Amino acid sequence: MADAFLDTDRCDPPKRPVAERILDHREVELDLPADALRDQASRCMDCGVPFCHQGCPLGNLVPGGDDLVARDLWRDAVERLHRTNNFPEFTGKTCPAPCERACVLDLHGAPVTIKHVEKRIADRGWREGWIVPQPPTQRTGRSVAVVGSGPAGLAAAQQLRRLGHEVTVFERDDRLGGLLRYGIPDFKLDKADIDRRLRQLSAEGVRFRTGVAVHDAAALLADHHAVCLAVGAQAPRRLEVPGAALDGVVDALPYLVQQNRVVAGDAPDQRIEAAGRHVVVLGGGDTGADCVGTAIRQGAASVRQFHYKPAPPSERPAETPWPLWPMTLQTSTSHEEGASRGWSLVATAFEGRDGRLERIRCARADWRDGALQLGDEVVVEADLVLVAVGFVGVDGPLGVRVVGGRVGGDTYRTDVPGIFACGDARRGASLVVWAIREGREAARAVDAFLFGSR
Amino acid sequence: MAQGAKPGEGGHLPGHKVDAVIARLRHAAPGTELVSPPPHHDIYSIEDLAQLIGDLRAVNPAAEISVKLVSEAGVGTVAAGVAKAGADAVLISGGSGGTGAAPLGSIKRAGLPWELGLAEAQQVLALNDLHGRVRLEVDGQLMTGRDVIVAGLLGAERFGFGTAALVSLGCVLMRVCHKNTCPVGVATQDPQLRAHFAGEPEHVIAFMGVVARQVREEMARLGFRRFDELVGRADRLRPAADPAGLDLAPLCHVVDGERRFVAAPPRPGPSRLDLALLDAAAPAIARGERVAAVEAVDNRDRAVLARLSGEIVARHPAGLPDDTVEVELHGTAGQSFAAFLAPGVSVRLCGEANDAVGKGMAGGRIVLVPPDAAALPEASVILGNVALYGATGGTLFARGRAGERFAVRNSGAVAVVEGTGAHGCEYMTGGLVAVLGPVGRNFGAGMSGGAAFLLDPAPERLGSGVALAPLDPEDLEQLRALVVEHRERTGSSVAWRLLARWEREQRRFGKVVPQRRAAEPAPSHRAAEG
Repeated sequence: MADAFLDTDRCDPPKRPVAERILDHREVELDLPADALRDQASRCMDCGVPFCHQGCPLGNLVPGGDDLVARDLWRDAVERLHRTNNFPEFTGKTCPAPCERACVLDLHGAPVTIKHVEKRIADRGWREGWIVPQPPTQRTGRSVAVVGSGPAGLAAAQQLRRLGHEVTVFERDDRLGGLLRYGIPDFKLDKADIDRRLRQLSAEGVRFRTGVAVHDAAALLADHHAVCLAVGAQAPRRLEVPGAALDGVVDALPYLVQQNRVVAGDAPDQRIEAAGRHVVVLGGGDTGADCVGTAIRQGAASVRQFHYKPAPPSERPAETPWPLWPMTLQTSTSHEEGASRGWSLVATAFEGRDGRLERIRCARADWRDGALQLGDEVVVEADLVLVAVGFVGVDGPLGVRVVGGRVGGDTYRTDVPGIFACGDARRGASLVVWAIREGREAARAVDAFLFGSR
Repeated sequence: MAQGAKPGEGGHLPGHKVDAVIARLRHAAPGTELVSPPPHHDIYSIEDLAQLIGDLRAVNPAAEISVKLVSEAGVGTVAAGVAKAGADAVLISGGSGGTGAAPLGSIKRAGLPWELGLAEAQQVLALNDLHGRVRLEVDGQLMTGRDVIVAGLLGAERFGFGTAALVSLGCVLMRVCHKNTCPVGVATQDPQLRAHFAGEPEHVIAFMGVVARQVREEMARLGFRRFDELVGRADRLRPAADPAGLDLAPLCHVVDGERRFVAAPPRPGPSRLDLALLDAAAPAIARGERVAAVEAVDNRDRAVLARLSGEIVARHPAGLPDDTVEVELHGTAGQSFAAFLAPGVSVRLCGEANDAVGKGMAGGRIVLVPPDAAALPEASVILGNVALYGATGGTLFARGRAGERFAVRNSGAVAVVEGTGAHGCEYMTGGLVAVLGPVGRNFGAGMSGGAAFLLDPAPERLGSGVALAPLDPEDLEQLRALVVEHRERTGSSVAWRLLARWEREQRRFGKVVPQRRAAEPAPSHRAAEG
């Protein structure tokens, strides 16, 4: 079994055709046929030292799971995957899969399709009814408040509840899920997936309170033995350029949120619509890519994405050798849908008339000697600019010490005894997979605080 | 003597990794599994080891001889014996090393840390004033300059790197070295996968440079200017508190006595007989002239002809043409007679020989005949134990019986004897042996190649893994030619009798072959069908 890689090529899962998928907000990625999936799983070499374990922040036991799929032992695969990952359907759909870049087969450029196998294991588990609530068998009599219901908060809540603690999750939004719900577009993650998990958590006894913004975490200690902050890092980085206040210059996150709300059936007061507009997305990261896909689905006249750095290489650069995560050119499904990409462009001014944006002035960035030099000017007509240049840390006061936008430090503790932090709030804006890991680790730290190591 | 990572387990190269190149190097047929048995069939005591060291020194006086021992309690005594046996170096091999082909149980559970064995070896060698004449070496998953420093303080002067050097060449510790599917081309014969090998000598050089730098930094920290100064300074180690409660202080004990290598003692030079034979063969070595010599021999003459063979091969790596050097000896030859015999040397011994006749022989011819007055030669032992051990070529004809362990691990020699003791042809991978008399028990056990023709074979005398097969016409022709040559060269009365009524006598022979080959068509045959 472990030598199928010799004669089986990697095969990525198919995607819906662009012309079809941009007409709706449903998921883009499709499934490989069952036999092809089994072939792909059997490409795993069952390495003596599986580097994918280290590549995955959760330490997912990839070779074992792939082997079980290849041998048709799906139920065991579902169980194995959930040992390290509370929500494999989230990571199976949204993760950039550092495991695949650490896969030994990536040495030759064709790693195992670990991510797709993970998604299919989770799908199968739900379809067969194998993923069921696991309520605690005994209660500890301790109560923990989890603030934030993104992947970190949900993972922490589930782990703490299964250890027998009373867990209450506080969410400032009207719906649960954090960035899973409102940050990630529906075409990457079907929101029904979140609801399905939330039902499992509820059945396990996790209590949820929406519409509650927490500004003083210490106050929660009056009713709870411990608090776990998983509030994310949603404060956007601001562009300090003239004209940033013009109508038509919009932060990425509010833009993505309102579209997700529309898909969910809400009718937001102020729609930010790209339909018929010339859109420029500033920022070359995942959030920018999500903006591109969303603008295209809204019927933008044109979509361009500018990044302030030069285009990364398509091949793994020498400074990030295998099995490290390489900075290579990422082409998301959104980019395939018709956006042009500009590199080494820095916005210097937004200009318009009557308070409305009409054009952006950019400068050609010259990164020689590592320092930024501004070169030739480029003027681009645009009536909607989506600013996706990163996040600087937690937004709003929490009642605990925040350093550099982050709560907590090397450990999951904060400066206030009994208050813990995890996820983006602790490590800065990052991946769903890191959030789940942080939630699990923070739960362990909280439990150790309540009971000592056990 | 064994590997620290899997002591007492030997080695096993699976048949699917034995391609044409490996088969040629190992003198075996492609596709044949190659078993390296854990025991050394020529070494049962420290005296045997001393004999082997002497044999090796005879065939190549310039070679340094290092003896690898497994780190374990009591290794100090063995190391002292090895030092007295005349080795240049003692290697203490720890339990953490080994390739990915080693069984998981061995990797995880077998062997002991090199620190234990090294400390003991160092203390025993120093106490007995032996470290001054032998170097201490160490291996077993050394990775860093710090490892080198710790080993040096415990008495080591040389350091073996295996895994770490392989990793610098691209090994990713897949632990599939035995499967032929190594994805980085390090441990595979598959050309498609070998194309992935990206290692360069410079990678190992760079790695060793880093280790050396770490060593220098640690030495500076400890205040040593030269590495020699720190060898054996176990007092500079401080035992860490061990969570398991082990008291490691005894490892850091420094005993009185020389704590590092000073100089090798003088080694015995060539014997009178060696010099006489070298002298006689000088025109053959220099100009390829045919020469002959007649000498007397007694059992103080050990490894006779090994020195000459070494000289021949040093000048002529493939040896000389057949019968270039003809030697006739009279008397009783000491141990390792004609060991490592080179192609082109033909020796006829009238008398008898001790253990290890033709050990490791690569070519040439050995003929053993009893003195004229001997009674019933076919019922008498004319050569001792473990003859032809590890031979790769050449021929041997003996008018008389061989001792135990005849032709063990033979991979190319052709021999005719008139009987053997137990364990004949064990682990044989090639060559041909005809026995014109009785054999002892366990004949051919573990054989994976070659064949043996036995007169009146007794199935209960066969070892595991071999089967009896009838001789085909080709075999019979080969056998007859061997018996004829045996008669010509030795005057064997057994051979006379067999040949006198060959049509009837030939039916008394059976052929011993590896069981797998007896049961299945040969790989080449299968390939032709496919």
